[in-house]
Amino acid sequence: MRPIEGRLAQLMARGSVVAIGLLAIGIGLMVARGISPLDVAPSLDPGRLVADLAALHPAGYLWLGAIAILGLPIARLGLSVVVFAGSGERRSAIVGLATLAVIFVGVVVGLAGRG
Amino acid sequence: MLAGGFAAGAFGSLLGLGGGVLIVPMLTLGFDLPLREAFGVSLACVVATSAAAAATYLERRVADLRLAMRLELFTATGAVAGGLLAFALDEGLLAGLFALVLVYVAATMVRGAVGPAAREATPEATSPPTKPRSLPLGAAGSTFGGVVSGLLGIGGGVIIVPLVHLGLGLPLRVATATSTLMVAVTAAASGIVYLVRGGIDPYVLGPTAVGVFVGAVLGSRSAERIDLRILRLLFIAVLVYTAAQMVRRAIAPT
Repeated sequence: MRPIEGRLAQLMARGSVVAIGLLAIGIGLMVARGISPLDVAPSLDPGRLVADLAALHPAGYLWLGAIAILGLPIARLGLSVVVFAGSGERRSAIVGLATLAVIFVGVVVGLAGRG
Repeated sequence: MLAGGFAAGAFGSLLGLGGGVLIVPMLTLGFDLPLREAFGVSLACVVATSAAAAATYLERRVADLRLAMRLELFTATGAVAGGLLAFALDEGLLAGLFALVLVYVAATMVRGAVGPAAREATPEATSPPTKPRSLPLGAAGSTFGGVVSGLLGIGGGVIIVPLVHLGLGLPLRVATATSTLMVAVTAAASGIVYLVRGGIDPYVLGPTAVGVFVGAVLGSRSAERIDLRILRLLFIAVLVYTAAQMVRRAIAPT
């Protein structure tokens, strides 16, 4: 089995290319539809994401790219926890899990304080 | 915006800086975006570039993954707090604090600590992680770095690299690589707060992030062929000018 560093490196490298690729598609669609970066963008609505992607709406690809970018380090943490737990490094796994919990609390408190 | 992002990414990677100190002024002073929106976009851009750089550091086993994970608990906590605080504070105050960070970065560059550090830190060979000196100091410094990152939309490397290198006693190359790993998680932790609070505009993020990413990749490949002394001096002048503009914005917010 590959060392954990190699597996995490692969996740980060491929993930960042996918995320930037989604944003690049979004830019292409913005240009095609004549949308300026300074136009008012639709807010993030997870329920509308699939429909926007299917309709080739730039906001769908841009939001998915944004989520992919911000989710990448969190996926790295998640994979670290799984690998460390599986290899008996309980301390590192617990620390990673605690960091994920902090981020989750940030999401919950952020959503609660939303206007 | 694509070109501005490209320039920020290229200059950032040439001078060993994360993109945040460049992206925020570019968006606020260049495109008149509200500060908090610029912070949110900047954080996402920082994640994109640091995640890609972290992949290289991990592959070459230069970064200390276990130390990074321990300190990330504190940077993430600080970043979430900083991100939430940014939505509670006055925009003028945020602009003033950002100007202070710019002056700090300019002063660090004058001492020649940032540029050469980044060059020296280029991962060329495998080096084993070393034992950190003081973890309580690391925890306190990481929390502070996280708060600054979340509050001002920067990666926090300007605080974390000296902390890990000088405070914890790790070699500069390992400190820079470990910091890059931490910056990705730190910026993501606060970036998600900005995302759920409506502080990220996808139409701004797209061109900026793609520009920064491409600029950072090309910048890192050109580093050996460019005289960084002149670039660094020019950049210090730009930072000081930008700090003055931020102070003006702090006094009379738009």
